[in-house]
Amino acid sequence: MLTLGTALAFAGAAIAAAFAGVGSAIGVGIAGQAGSGVISEDPDKFGNVLVLQALPGTQGIYGLLIAFIIVLNIGVIDGNIKELSTYQGLSLLFAALPIAIGGLMSGIYQGKVAASAIYLSAKRPEETGKGIILTAMVETYAVLALLISFIMVNGVKL
Amino acid sequence: MLVQMKKATLYALKEDRDSILLALQRDGNVMLIPSADEAALPGAENVGNEAEKTNGAIKFITMHAGKSSFLTPRTPVAYNKFLQDTPVAADLAEQVATLEDKIGSLRNEALTMRAQAGALKPWLGLDIPLEKLAATTSTVYFAGYLPELAKDEFLEEIKELTAEAIILEEVPEGRAIVVFAHKSASADVKHFLKAHDFTDVVFPKRVGLAKEIATDLTDAAKMKESLADNLEEEVKKIAHRKEELYLYYDQLVAKQERMALSGVETQKTFFVQGWVRADKTEVVTKAVAEVTSAYDLNFVEPEEGEIPPSVMENGKFSRPYEFVTELYSRPKIGSLDPDFMMAPFHFIFFGMMLSDAGYGLVLTILLYAVLKLFKPRDSAEKLITVILFGGVSTVLWGILFGGWFGLEWRPLLFVPMKEPLKMLALCFGLGALHLVTGMCMKIYLLVKRGQVWAAIFDEVSWLVLFAGLFLMALLPGEIGRDMAIVGAGTIVLTGGREKKNVIAKFFGGLLSLYNISGYVSDLLSYSRLFALGLATGVIAMVINTIAKMLWETGPAGVVIAVFVLVGGHIFNILINVLGSFVHTSRLQYIEFFSKFYEAGGKAFVPLAIRTKYVDVTK
Repeated sequence: MLTLGTALAFAGAAIAAAFAGVGSAIGVGIAGQAGSGVISEDPDKFGNVLVLQALPGTQGIYGLLIAFIIVLNIGVIDGNIKELSTYQGLSLLFAALPIAIGGLMSGIYQGKVAASAIYLSAKRPEETGKGIILTAMVETYAVLALLISFIMVNGVKL
Repeated sequence: MLVQMKKATLYALKEDRDSILLALQRDGNVMLIPSADEAALPGAENVGNEAEKTNGAIKFITMHAGKSSFLTPRTPVAYNKFLQDTPVAADLAEQVATLEDKIGSLRNEALTMRAQAGALKPWLGLDIPLEKLAATTSTVYFAGYLPELAKDEFLEEIKELTAEAIILEEVPEGRAIVVFAHKSASADVKHFLKAHDFTDVVFPKRVGLAKEIATDLTDAAKMKESLADNLEEEVKKIAHRKEELYLYYDQLVAKQERMALSGVETQKTFFVQGWVRADKTEVVTKAVAEVTSAYDLNFVEPEEGEIPPSVMENGKFSRPYEFVTELYSRPKIGSLDPDFMMAPFHFIFFGMMLSDAGYGLVLTILLYAVLKLFKPRDSAEKLITVILFGGVSTVLWGILFGGWFGLEWRPLLFVPMKEPLKMLALCFGLGALHLVTGMCMKIYLLVKRGQVWAAIFDEVSWLVLFAGLFLMALLPGEIGRDMAIVGAGTIVLTGGREKKNVIAKFFGGLLSLYNISGYVSDLLSYSRLFALGLATGVIAMVINTIAKMLWETGPAGVVIAVFVLVGGHIFNILINVLGSFVHTSRLQYIEFFSKFYEAGGKAFVPLAIRTKYVDVTK
């Protein structure tokens, strides 16, 4: 018998994975479009471009991570789904919000920075490293969101 | 450590110039300085063009015959052989360039013909030879496209104008039509057609029915294409001689670089200046002395206002980390090369972020093999070594945290996922150490420059404040509080010392105490050490869980599970090595370097043999 609490925990896992995933998808998409343009001029830059395109992909991974821990904690993986109280479920839902929203927005903006870094690497291939660092600056906030989501999820005693 | 540089000035005879430059290039220790009024040696341009052509030839062959393989080791070439001219390769480059031209123009012609044939497509049904489509004494004709056509209506209307139309196929441009009209109706028909947005067509100047012409054109195009195909086969046949082009290209580039600077000339002599490491002056003198005795070479300290290039020299462990510094910017002359202090932190942080002993082992073994087998050079070698060291560190941290391919096995310290607060404390502890090290480097720099008071007011005061706050939390008693007050007091009293009047000084001091928020946010940034470790560990767990579920479904599941395990873990290693390297470097650049580092050094690019394809052995 599923309780409302368990359903809310499911909702938390779902928005963590979905929103952060959407952020990454958009980010990687933006970077990929810029990348194809650069590769059409110089196919040898594929390596550099791929690294830059991969950077906005981590938010999706962070979202999945939080979703997985929630799902693991409420017993979906081993098949014994726990009956959570409404407050437990709500807490898990709130705990998922930082990475869901932070991942969504930072993924999109990191994608934009990655796209401009790809143009930078097209004009000055020797400065690709700096482009990578600029792109990674955006990710800081996804990392912070991941951390607080994790600590909150971990703090909900079931 | 930054290396002391000296400025070399060399006078010699012009007749010895080529051999001296050759010797300097082989030695690779002098970076020539271009003076205002000198140009490249005569002929340098030709060498450059030839190099360009050879590069084009190599690219063309690669395009048609494919790359040999990713990461092929370079062919070793003895120095003596490297100096020998290779006229055969020059011919080969010429031959390939000619082939490329021919193939290009054949393909172009074929393309044009096919386009012409394509344009004739709507007219294939026309049973009048194109050359017969002409005005006669009493008729005129119009051929072209009409965008929209109500067929019957149009035929009616055109008949009324004493004209007749042949209506053909419809294409994107419109419906193809030919209209014949009596000369007297010419103006009317023209007007009528214009009203219907008629566009004229220009036929190719050829004889015969459209159908025949189109077939002819297609046949001719096919022939040109097959000719081009044959020529491409020829390219493939000579592709095995690519190695010759590789050598030739590297020779040309070396030659071009040698010829780039002529130095300042008189009738018989010339002189050049360049930067040399202070510890290499004897080597350079010896290299020149071996060529001729008619020279004058002296080394002086750089004058005021002259900025020598920044050369870093480090021990075996820190040397690869120069790559990380160079990625940011070289240290300014007279400042500090941070590598020796950065290297241990980079090592520790990288391992903490990856933190899986299994992944560390894979990385270490794989990269060690790459280093031994492919012998990468320069920055590639440094980067791979940095990550190889990171792999070793990952193994150590993996053992401490008990992470083995996402499974938990006998942690020596604790499992971060289960004790996040302990892990965060560890991160912030290491972060504080990193930041304090950075501040100590700044103190060292300031003291070395004689600004002892600045060091005490701006750096030591903060350290005392932090130490006090730390002791307050740790020890009972007044000592911590007193230290914190002394530190904060120093900051408030001295922070505004640059300001003019007393009030501005006071507020400036208060304001500089506000910098504490900067230090706090720097410290919080180290929480990424935990977060990235978490990402690696949990994704590995996800992969293992999925594989386990598949494994239990039967024999087919087992096969898929193996693929999921191998592919998943490889993906996880790749994405997290990237993340670990980038975020570790960021902690150096933003948190560490911002405390003391002075960027903006020039690169040291000596005249040397820089090859792309071959490896010159001495």
